[in-house]
Amino acid sequence: MALSTESIPMRWPAGPLDIARRKNEKGFTADTAEVLGKWLDPATLAVVKGTPVNSLVVSWAEGLPEDAAQQQALKPLIEKGRQAGLDFVGVIEGKADRTAAIAAAKSAGLSAVAMDGDAPASAGIAVIPRNGHTQMRWTANSPVMGVSNGVWPGIPQEMVPTGGPTSLPWVNSNAAVVRIARALAPGKSVWIEFDPPQGAAQPAEAYMLAVADTASFGAGWVISLDDALRADLAANKQPAVDAWKKVTGMVTFFQQNKPAGTYRQTGPLAVVSDFAGPDWFPGEEAVNLLPRVREPYRVIARSRAASASFDGLQAVYYVDQEPPEPLLRQKLIDFAKGGGTLFVPSKWPEPEGSPTEAEPYFLFSLRALGKGRLAVCKADRPNSYDTVEDIQTILSHRNDQLRLYNAPSMNFYCQASAQGEREVIHLLNYSRRPGSDGPLLFVKKPHRRARLVSPELAAPVELQWAPQEAGGAELSLPGIAVYGAVELES
Amino acid sequence: MNRELTRREVLLGAGALMALPALPAWATAPVPQAGRVAVAKCKTYGPELLPALSKIFDQLGGLDRLVKGKTVAVKINLIGVRSQRLGSALMEDTFWTHPHVIGSVVHLMGKAGARRIRVVEGPWSSPETLEEVMLSMNWKPQDILNAAGNVEFENTNYLGRGKKYARLMVPSGGLIYPGYDLNHSYEDCDVFVSCAKLKEHAATGVTLSMKNVYGSTPVTIYGEGAGVDEPSIRPHGGRGGTFHFARRMPSKSAPQQIDMSLPKDAGYRIPRIVAELCTARPVHLAIIDGVKSATGAETNYGSPNRPQAAINPGVLIAGTNCVATDAVAMAVMGFDPMAVRGTAPFVSSDSMQQLGESLGIGWRDPSKNEVAGAPISEVVFSYTAVRDRILAAKKKA
Repeated sequence: MALSTESIPMRWPAGPLDIARRKNEKGFTADTAEVLGKWLDPATLAVVKGTPVNSLVVSWAEGLPEDAAQQQALKPLIEKGRQAGLDFVGVIEGKADRTAAIAAAKSAGLSAVAMDGDAPASAGIAVIPRNGHTQMRWTANSPVMGVSNGVWPGIPQEMVPTGGPTSLPWVNSNAAVVRIARALAPGKSVWIEFDPPQGAAQPAEAYMLAVADTASFGAGWVISLDDALRADLAANKQPAVDAWKKVTGMVTFFQQNKPAGTYRQTGPLAVVSDFAGPDWFPGEEAVNLLPRVREPYRVIARSRAASASFDGLQAVYYVDQEPPEPLLRQKLIDFAKGGGTLFVPSKWPEPEGSPTEAEPYFLFSLRALGKGRLAVCKADRPNSYDTVEDIQTILSHRNDQLRLYNAPSMNFYCQASAQGEREVIHLLNYSRRPGSDGPLLFVKKPHRRARLVSPELAAPVELQWAPQEAGGAELSLPGIAVYGAVELES
Repeated sequence: MNRELTRREVLLGAGALMALPALPAWATAPVPQAGRVAVAKCKTYGPELLPALSKIFDQLGGLDRLVKGKTVAVKINLIGVRSQRLGSALMEDTFWTHPHVIGSVVHLMGKAGARRIRVVEGPWSSPETLEEVMLSMNWKPQDILNAAGNVEFENTNYLGRGKKYARLMVPSGGLIYPGYDLNHSYEDCDVFVSCAKLKEHAATGVTLSMKNVYGSTPVTIYGEGAGVDEPSIRPHGGRGGTFHFARRMPSKSAPQQIDMSLPKDAGYRIPRIVAELCTARPVHLAIIDGVKSATGAETNYGSPNRPQAAINPGVLIAGTNCVATDAVAMAVMGFDPMAVRGTAPFVSSDSMQQLGESLGIGWRDPSKNEVAGAPISEVVFSYTAVRDRILAAKKKA
């Protein structure tokens, strides 16, 4: 089986190289080594039998003395796995000799290697570029892009007492990186790697969230299990088997409901950036924080913005310090003149339009421009949260299409079919448990039909519209522990 | 409610006050004036609301006497985390002053000849305009702005349209702070109205017309994100760190705490701050929206002992004195207005009404005030009974 957008990857730590890598880590015990040894046994492949997992990601070379032993030790596992239809991807990192490691991978029957840096010209094997998100090579010739430094999604314990500046809790999510990756490398699969926090067994819901936090945005988490779960799965202990079933059930759910692959992102705001160099941070922070102020948005790569559709947009946030190319600048200005609001950084040269009154605390000074507005940031390095908060206020809640109540630990993400007759609102709960009150979703334009689909439900639930006195209608949703999607049909 | 206090109650009340280390104004505080309070039955926010409000204002002597030709600041209550509602109940049906009440009050004030009406509030932590806050809850702020001539909104969490903060001193010298720096709207008004909700509070037992004034304090000075030396430009954070727990002090530009050894207990601090704020910024008219409300408090999410429930007390209360009005409101809620710390609703706090009385604002004892309109006995809606029923049902389940 060739590596493709259909691949469902899983990290498969096993063998001497993984033992060597882990042995200096805190909490490493003889038990850990035993599990890492045990997962070399082809019998452990039973764990993925009957699940959607079809690609196993193994440690291949790191420039350590154990490299050769690792590659040798993996042979039986690879052989048996390939017979079962599994792909193997070898991770090459550190000071490993790339050329030798690639040759060994090819010879061992691996489907691909994943590595940072440039692939040799004639590798003879698929090479997945694997980098931290700020160093990604989005134009690399590979159907799969690997992001090596995702975050374990959830509400980090150390942030609980303080929460976010909104009073909503702080959440860790991979959504921003994935959405940026999909904008910069459209049509490619994005694999994102992150491990569960070691030292404590994670509940099944934590893994389900890890799947949903990536899959709902159209990426794939390289599934990675904690030591305790792997030990218990190898021993076929029932609680572990049940937890694993829930995790793979979540993966199956997203395989069967692939909206991200075919639906377009929607929202009244577009964030335009090249997300590179100094523009990465403000761009990524905007994309990361806009969900916390409940502002739906689209991400548009600056390189594609001049040809991208601005239909349905009320505002564009042009992030980059470097002014846009003349064609794009003209398009942005025309957009504002036509009634949109264009947010630009402080370095925007010779701002168009004429100054107009605005709240004094705003980070942006407002200028009337045709039928619309140009909002020029007053600060060179504005606070990221204040930026998105002001963008939302300037846009005005008058224009909210959606509002979410009773869901402080949730984010939502909107997509629509090509013709717009069907919309999907993905709801992710980073607390991993339902709130005391079910979420309420306000929809400005009620649709003909609304239903909730979720792997947590035996069957989709038809939702009832509750019309509101001031317009719009609300949908009262049942409690969602991890993930649900509201499907709207017009 | 006109009963005599028992010797024990007198001793407890006096004892509670005696235990308070700082009531320096006792000897010099003015003798409270008798207040006038009016009560009306009003089950809905529909057509019956405007006549009910109009009637209780008439029973207080008429709005025109108070507002004609004047600039009026109406402090409404939009406090709490607005993304968190009580089930599917609307914020205005539980914890916030209802927009129809605000609109009706504005309309009647305009009709009574108010020159300018400024609707003010410092919504929790938010820099957004009041209009935006209202829009985010699907209100129609234009209805309020159009309810009379010359109506405006101001978010008083920060400097707003003012050039500088107004310093309002506590006449008695203060229990916690000697004075407060507030948004100009609280000084630039001839008449100050507290338009509150009939509700409970996790730290102070009840939130009525007095406690509503607490939200007048700008978070640029008193918030957790306030500037250290000078007020911040932009509001950040709630007031809990400064006011509830004294984890930090207000910006140094504002009057500082009179004694740094004062307890850091919200049940001690908040009632005092509220009482002294009500002397620094006296309330000329207290209005309490008790048509719909909730038991528990907006910050009580999931608290097993103080369960929240949307309720319909069906009552409106207004008065010319905030202590007297709150006392009547407490009686309507089924509480003893003379209650002191340790007694419901002041389970873990001092009574801000008692402190207000000690500062000379008004009398708590309804028999010392003039109460018009619907008899309290006919409108009592026991918040405790609702909670008890919920707890009993939970226990049974």
